[in-house]
Amino acid sequence: MVQLKTVLSKFYDEYQNNTPKKLKLIDAYLTYILLTGILQFAYCVLVGTFPFNSFLSGFISTVSCFVLGVCLRLQTNTQNKSQFIGISPERGFADFIFAHIILHLVVVNFIG
Amino acid sequence: MFKLNILAFLLVVIISTVFSAIDVEIENKNIDRTIDLTSQLVKVSYKITLEHKSKKAITNYLFLIPSVDCDKLSYVSARDSAKKELKLTLSKTAEECSYSMTLPNSQIPNPVIYIETIFSKALQPYPTEITQAERQLVRYFGNAVFYSPFKTSSQKTTIHLASRNVESFTQVKPSVHSDTQIVYGPYENIPAKTQNEIVVHYENNSPFMVVTRLERTIEVSHWGNVAVEETIDILHSGALLKGSFSRYDYQKDSRSGPASVKSYKTILPASATGVYYRDTNGNISTSAMVTLKDSVELDLRPRFPLFGGWRTHYTIGYNVPSFEYLFHNGDSYMLKMRLIDHVFDDMIVDELVTKIILPEGTKNLKLITPYSVERQPDTLHFTYLDITGRPVITFRKTNLVENHINDFNIKYNFSRIMMLQEPLLVVVFLYLFFLFVIIWMRLDFSIIKERERLHKD
Amino acid sequence: MTETLIKSKNPNRVTSHAGISSLIVFSVLLMCWIAGFASRLFAVIRFESIIHEFDPWFNYRATAYMVQHGFYKFLNWFDERAWYPLGRIVGGTVYPGLMITSGGIHWLLHLLHIPVHIRDICVFLAPIFSGLTAISTYLLTKELWNTGAGLFAASFIAIVPGYISRSVAGSYDNEGIAIFALQFTYYLWVKSVKTGSIFWAASAALSYFYMVSAWGGYVFIINLIPLHVFVLLIMNRYSHRLFTSYTTFYILGLICSMQIPFVGFQPIRTSEHMAASGVFALLVAVGALKHLQTVLTKQEFKRLFIFGGLAAAAVVFLTVVGLTMAGVIAPWSGRFYSLWDTGYAKIHIPIIASVSEHQPTTWFSFFFDLHILVCTFPVGLWYAIKKINDERVFVVLYAISAVYFAGVMVRLMLTLTPVVCILAGVGFSGLLEVFLKEDQQPVNKEETENEEPTEKKLYDKAGKIKPRKHDSNKSENKGLGSNVKSMVVIAIMMILMMFAVHCTWVTSNAYSSPSIVLAFYNQGDGTRNILDDFREAYYWLSQNTNDDARVMSWWDYGYQIAGMANRTTLVDNNTWNNSHIALVGKAMSSPEEKAYEIMTSLDVDYVLVIFGGVIGYSGDDINKFLWMVRIAEGEHPKDIRESDFFTERGEFRVDNEGAPALLNCLMYKLSYYRFGDLKLDYRGPAGYDRTRNAVIGNKDFDLTYLEEAYTSEHWLVRIYRVKKPHEFNRPALKTDERVVSASEYITKKTSKRRKGVIKNRPTVIKGKRTATKEKTN
Repeated sequence: MVQLKTVLSKFYDEYQNNTPKKLKLIDAYLTYILLTGILQFAYCVLVGTFPFNSFLSGFISTVSCFVLGVCLRLQTNTQNKSQFIGISPERGFADFIFAHIILHLVVVNFIG
Repeated sequence: MFKLNILAFLLVVIISTVFSAIDVEIENKNIDRTIDLTSQLVKVSYKITLEHKSKKAITNYLFLIPSVDCDKLSYVSARDSAKKELKLTLSKTAEECSYSMTLPNSQIPNPVIYIETIFSKALQPYPTEITQAERQLVRYFGNAVFYSPFKTSSQKTTIHLASRNVESFTQVKPSVHSDTQIVYGPYENIPAKTQNEIVVHYENNSPFMVVTRLERTIEVSHWGNVAVEETIDILHSGALLKGSFSRYDYQKDSRSGPASVKSYKTILPASATGVYYRDTNGNISTSAMVTLKDSVELDLRPRFPLFGGWRTHYTIGYNVPSFEYLFHNGDSYMLKMRLIDHVFDDMIVDELVTKIILPEGTKNLKLITPYSVERQPDTLHFTYLDITGRPVITFRKTNLVENHINDFNIKYNFSRIMMLQEPLLVVVFLYLFFLFVIIWMRLDFSIIKERERLHKD
Repeated sequence: MTETLIKSKNPNRVTSHAGISSLIVFSVLLMCWIAGFASRLFAVIRFESIIHEFDPWFNYRATAYMVQHGFYKFLNWFDERAWYPLGRIVGGTVYPGLMITSGGIHWLLHLLHIPVHIRDICVFLAPIFSGLTAISTYLLTKELWNTGAGLFAASFIAIVPGYISRSVAGSYDNEGIAIFALQFTYYLWVKSVKTGSIFWAASAALSYFYMVSAWGGYVFIINLIPLHVFVLLIMNRYSHRLFTSYTTFYILGLICSMQIPFVGFQPIRTSEHMAASGVFALLVAVGALKHLQTVLTKQEFKRLFIFGGLAAAAVVFLTVVGLTMAGVIAPWSGRFYSLWDTGYAKIHIPIIASVSEHQPTTWFSFFFDLHILVCTFPVGLWYAIKKINDERVFVVLYAISAVYFAGVMVRLMLTLTPVVCILAGVGFSGLLEVFLKEDQQPVNKEETENEEPTEKKLYDKAGKIKPRKHDSNKSENKGLGSNVKSMVVIAIMMILMMFAVHCTWVTSNAYSSPSIVLAFYNQGDGTRNILDDFREAYYWLSQNTNDDARVMSWWDYGYQIAGMANRTTLVDNNTWNNSHIALVGKAMSSPEEKAYEIMTSLDVDYVLVIFGGVIGYSGDDINKFLWMVRIAEGEHPKDIRESDFFTERGEFRVDNEGAPALLNCLMYKLSYYRFGDLKLDYRGPAGYDRTRNAVIGNKDFDLTYLEEAYTSEHWLVRIYRVKKPHEFNRPALKTDERVVSASEYITKKTSKRRKGVIKNRPTVIKGKRTATKEKTN
């Protein structure tokens, strides 16, 4: 347990030091979404999923926002430059917006 | 004051017509009447010889049809002794329809008038339901003597039947049945407006088919083609089929189902090409086309034989070259085509709707029909490469027979430059398309460059 | 499209070389499209522009409804003309992609004032989409291998019979557009795996959405792509690109697929879709771990990994099991079981087994549908395995799974065909690369691209091939002798030519019959006769029966009756309600009297049977009859027993040795009514059935409860009218009996449903039960 604690503290330190500001911004966004997702999940467990499609669209939209955010983070991370040949951060962001447009159109349709 | 004058004038006219109508001194000297009952129609032709007691010239004659037959009457025409068509004026009263005609002012002492009338649906199948093997019997209700506002001195009626089998007919002495003919008369000195009902009950296996609705569309193209399409609903209006239809019996004996209709002939114009015959399920593969010298004859077989009460529905279409039907003088054109065309011999058409689609950009339409029709409001039709739409003239008429096959005329103005519109449209479209592609390619190029620039950053 | 794609590949060099190669690519694809389109037109040229077979009639009817009433009405369409008296909610039980596609085309054309009839759009949709399929196959193969292979694959798929079988003009079915969607989704997927771009992944999801809207076969995609990801993970080929593309694709695809009313919540509830979400979770977990790995040292990571990994696995497993138990996630459906166990359907679901396209594939049909490709695609597979990379793993998996599925079901041959074309394209391209190599040229890739398309263009017009080939071969000879080279090349040319000939032959002979119009050739003078009995009879129904008349027939003809005759049917090809079908099967296999009870309880007005005995048409109802019996037996085991319809020696025969149950059942009587009198030949006996080559056993019978309403010209379709109770003469006593047995019939059904409750009440004595049975018989 103690080891786990040290691991985590080390992790935190490294994060504070080695992460560019852009990524931190994205991380903040991700944390926010994660919290929303947890909130939604708690709601569904406690209250129920009555309008199932609304719940589903909400939850999936959270998950996909998270996932897309992670993807954007991966693409903008300079360490991963070698893996994403031909995708500049700007391009990544444009793609991110594109995916979001699709996502939200569908979600709006689905939420009923 | 002026109005009063007109009223007075009208009064005079009316009175004079009434007087002339019942000029009691006119007498039907001799009447030869032929009633043709061989088909589903009742065709009655009269040869009327007139006489004026005081030897005056006869200027007017009145031809009456009892009101029971008025609805069934679909066609009437009158000719004088020179076979010249006489103009008929219709007026209806509760008991009869009267057609008045003005005779040419000639001094012949005994003028002759030929009148032809055709009644549809005047034959009633009796019994109304027959089985597949039975023959079809029908009844004709008629008048043994000529119904006329004038006194008739001598008359004779000949009835032609479809077969020798006559179940019964009303005897009015002297009346003789021989072979396929029944002769009533001669009768002498019959007073005016005499009615003497007769019933003839006989076998008639000729096709009893009614076109319940015929929609005829004529599309004119100034590129040299007129497309005609007819959508036809047919009902077998004879005695209804009772019980089952047995294919076995029908195949075993070709005479089985005497009242049914296997096929019929449709005659199209001689220049008709690209003929098609189909229904909502596609082509009807059973038809034969024979090109004759002056027409194209289609032998149409419906998908199934038509028994009493059965219906079918199909579309037939063809193209004819426009030079035979479209005439022009400068920018003014005249289209002269048939208002209704032949569907089958001795046809009855309950309702006809004719639509004429003229090219885009025609102006000053003027329709002339050989008889009165019910003109529907004009509409617009859009087809290939149209912008403003093509004017459509629609009119409707009910209760038609073969004698109604006649030409209508449409006069209109059309500027020839409009013909260039469609090719130009295509050219412009292609031009824009290629322009778009070119721009698109350039655009694509620039995006990639930009991207590459971004890479370099 | 293609032009711009090619251009974007080499943006700055507008050398003549690139220009020529892109021109060749463009023209080859264009010719693929034209050739594919043309070879699918046999049926239209021989017959007419008409919808084929069975399912397309429904699709056509639904499309026509949509065009007429608008899209929203279509989505809410309750079709009361099907499944009488239940009806069918069409909007919610159909994949609308097909209708929307052709409706959209129709709308667009009419916007431009091009008055094309919706039927013609429907007829020509599949051939047009085959061109798009060829292009997307080209794109996919290009991503997997190279342009040359892509062109090969495109021209293979344009004419391969395995795909043509589902996409001839008139075959207006989901598969026609679905194969395009399938290939295009795979292309976008491969592209997104290659680049790791969200854009491509999102496009793949959109294309997947189209696929979902078009065909139930989308399940193949949603299982194959996760499998690909999974195998890549196992092969330790995880990359952030994979993470990006799969997560984006999955989550967008998931929510998109749920927009189709027919699919609904299935993607999160049924087991078929669970693999995808499992892989999603796994991939997220792996991604997280990989991320941690970059941050932490190895030891720390190991500990965390073991702890976290175990916990996560347990949680996932428990939830899935728990949800399945609780019934939230549906277990696998019958059709899927039948994919694993070919015998399953035969035993449990006769209705699935009764469809011929659900039978296992024979070796012959592999060759018949794919010809030479069947031999060459392992070569391509081997190439792909030899030079493996991320996306080639995909094509290998695609090939293996598709081969398996195609072996299980004839119908799934369709999913195999594209991958076979791709790999055969790779194989041929590889071969020719060896034998056409112009040595020591740095740009020889471009050369091969030039070469292959020329061959492609030529093998339709075989005559011109040889001279050019010789030219190109004589010029260089190093490594391999020029003779060997040219011999091999000629051999390959010959093979390809044979392939083209075979494809055309198969298409023209096997797959170009509309099946509603039959044609046969006179032996004497070779003239063609057309048997138009189906349309004749359907048209009779549409014109001469009441608009609300209900027609009972076996389910095969349900869609056609609805489409061509526009009458209410009891069962149709959308076989969703087995018990209703069984009821019809029961009516057909019962004697007339009992069938009448069923028919009156279902308000049947007309009964339609297909009878091929006069012309020797083998697909008629008597030959399908055993399936009716089997399906009826499945639901009513007490009343119908399959064994009753066999002779003692276990034969199914219609002559006088046939089983009495068969000779007196409704189907037999309706098929052979008055047939006993008919002499087909001068010398032959009366009542000789040409299909089964036998003189029928029960010749002399009359119908009490039905009367012949119409029989088509060649007796192929026979329609009977069910008489109303007052129309037939029966003694009063019997009428009473009828009432009694009718009520008995109803109670039987309810008693069957509550088997456990009522069964205890009557004493279970054997004698008594047989007594009741006798009464019902």
